[in-house]
Amino acid sequence: MSVRLSIGDSIRQALSSVHTVVFPTTERERERRRIAIMTIPFFVLAIFAGFVPLATMLRMSLSEEQLFNEGWSVDAWETLATDRTYWWIGFNTLWFAAAATLVSVAIGVVVAHALEKYSLPFERVIVAAVSFPIALPGIVVAFMIVVLLGRQGLLTQTVAFFSGRSAIDLATATTIGGLFLGYVYSLIPRATMILRGTYAEVNTDAEEAARSLGASPFETFRHVTFPEIRPGIVAGAILVFRSALAIFGTVLILQGGFVVVTLRIDRELAVGFNSQIAAAIGVVYVAFLIAFTFIGLRFVRAEQVAI
Amino acid sequence: MSTVTLESITKRYGSETAVDGLDLTIRDGEILGIVGPSGCGKTTTLRTIAGFETPTKGDVRFDDQVVTHVPPEQRNVGLVFQSYALFDTMSVRENVAFGLKMRDVPVDQRRARADELLEMLDIADLADRLPATLSGGQQQRVGLARALAIEPHVLLLDEPMTGLDATLKARLRIEIADLLADLGVTALYVTHDQTEAMAMCDRIAVLNDGRLEQVGTPSAVYERPENAFVADFIGTSNVLEGTVRDGRLDLGVVELSGSFDASGPVQVVVRPESLDLGGPLEATVEQATYLGDRTELIVALPDERTVTLRADGNVEYSRGDSVSISIDPASVCVLP
Repeated sequence: MSVRLSIGDSIRQALSSVHTVVFPTTERERERRRIAIMTIPFFVLAIFAGFVPLATMLRMSLSEEQLFNEGWSVDAWETLATDRTYWWIGFNTLWFAAAATLVSVAIGVVVAHALEKYSLPFERVIVAAVSFPIALPGIVVAFMIVVLLGRQGLLTQTVAFFSGRSAIDLATATTIGGLFLGYVYSLIPRATMILRGTYAEVNTDAEEAARSLGASPFETFRHVTFPEIRPGIVAGAILVFRSALAIFGTVLILQGGFVVVTLRIDRELAVGFNSQIAAAIGVVYVAFLIAFTFIGLRFVRAEQVAI
Repeated sequence: MSTVTLESITKRYGSETAVDGLDLTIRDGEILGIVGPSGCGKTTTLRTIAGFETPTKGDVRFDDQVVTHVPPEQRNVGLVFQSYALFDTMSVRENVAFGLKMRDVPVDQRRARADELLEMLDIADLADRLPATLSGGQQQRVGLARALAIEPHVLLLDEPMTGLDATLKARLRIEIADLLADLGVTALYVTHDQTEAMAMCDRIAVLNDGRLEQVGTPSAVYERPENAFVADFIGTSNVLEGTVRDGRLDLGVVELSGSFDASGPVQVVVRPESLDLGGPLEATVEQATYLGDRTELIVALPDERTVTLRADGNVEYSRGDSVSISIDPASVCVLP
């Protein structure tokens, strides 16, 4: 026998749920009301700062007119799909962010390991120094790289002085290497902070058990510690990769001919007033982020279940 | 298996002394228990043998070999933890075979050895499960199998049953003791539970404040404690002041005839089972605790000192009741 609710029944049931949330009588219902109240700000924000602008952006990408949402056209999407330049920009953005993520997470693992496993002298100072770049705008990070590796940069001038070579040839701030350094500098703290939390959960007794069973410190890390921190590494990589995709200020200053998505959106708007193409890129960017995050989170969950 | 010798081990952390000049031998094939209150240095001693702590002074020997500065992975010791410390990402069989894998034993051999140990510990059917799906008792069996798989010089057990319920503890206690005896394993058993130590160990070392108070068989430590701390820590005891004159012990409220060796003021230990109801000494019940098979009574003597004794569980006592008691002179122990 199939039980199918009529529309009337469904509406009645929904109204009754709303009624119990508004006028709860049991502790369970009061808990639901608390949850509803606590999540209201998030939903308001999600709607007015997320969904509404996203819908507007989608509309803008399909607009016939520049800067005004009038008429309908798929020209921007066609350009995006056929013009190889945009494909290259997408490719550049992804590989550069992926490479920076890989390096940052690897360094993050080492730093978190040192901070959580050993009692270091001046630990608070080290933690402050490691986390400090999180608070820096990308543009300041770029400036610091220029101060260090630019033509007048500290390191450039020092090397030039000792090697007798021209500082202009030695300057690397605005090369892809300088940009990579800028990325990694701002991403390492994000990786480290997440991994420190993961490390705090690592079972120290299991590590000692492995040592007593004949595993060297490296083998212990490989067989015991690493499998335990793997979910943290995946979670860290997801966060760091998304942060890497969003970097703008650093790339604006240090680009050296290397264009990524964020910079291209800026150029489309500021130079060409191509609001439709800028909006289309924006929509693709957001759609990619959402898809990536969902797939990534499933991966984290699967990892945790496996453990 | 080996004889493990600790020679004048001292371990300091800054100004804190965790172990203070400890001399101790774990004889080949024996189970030595270390008991003592929290912070007495039990775990530091165990970790020093395992190699996770390097003593500030003194040496650790396995047979004739000094291992004081040998890293843990080269010592061949088996460790069993209170927290089980199993490798959560590996199956039960992989956990047990881990030590053999680190010794490059071929896969089929280490698998066979792991299965043999799991069989021995009665958990062969759990071989393919992950540790997180096992009960505490089962996890501890896996921990024990894993430690035994490497045929260690010495097996170190750090409060292995603290997290288990009383019934399981009692059962596992007998099983583990039998297993270790059958295998002839040299073992150090650290626990704060003196009953557990008495039940499982060939000898017991009582530690207090980083120092060794007494070491001996369970009966020697119980019946002939060398000081008030040991008497108090091992079992329930009544420590009383008295005077010995001409082989007779005067406790102030009663005089006991017997052949007491000492002379002058002494401290004596009277176990609750040495006190009987009915006798020349009048006392008043201060507290009665019903424990099913018996009732534990704390009674006040005429001079207001209190002693603990055990009475039949069928009789009801309440505060203020008058009882008469007697002391068996033969089981009174005079502290040196």
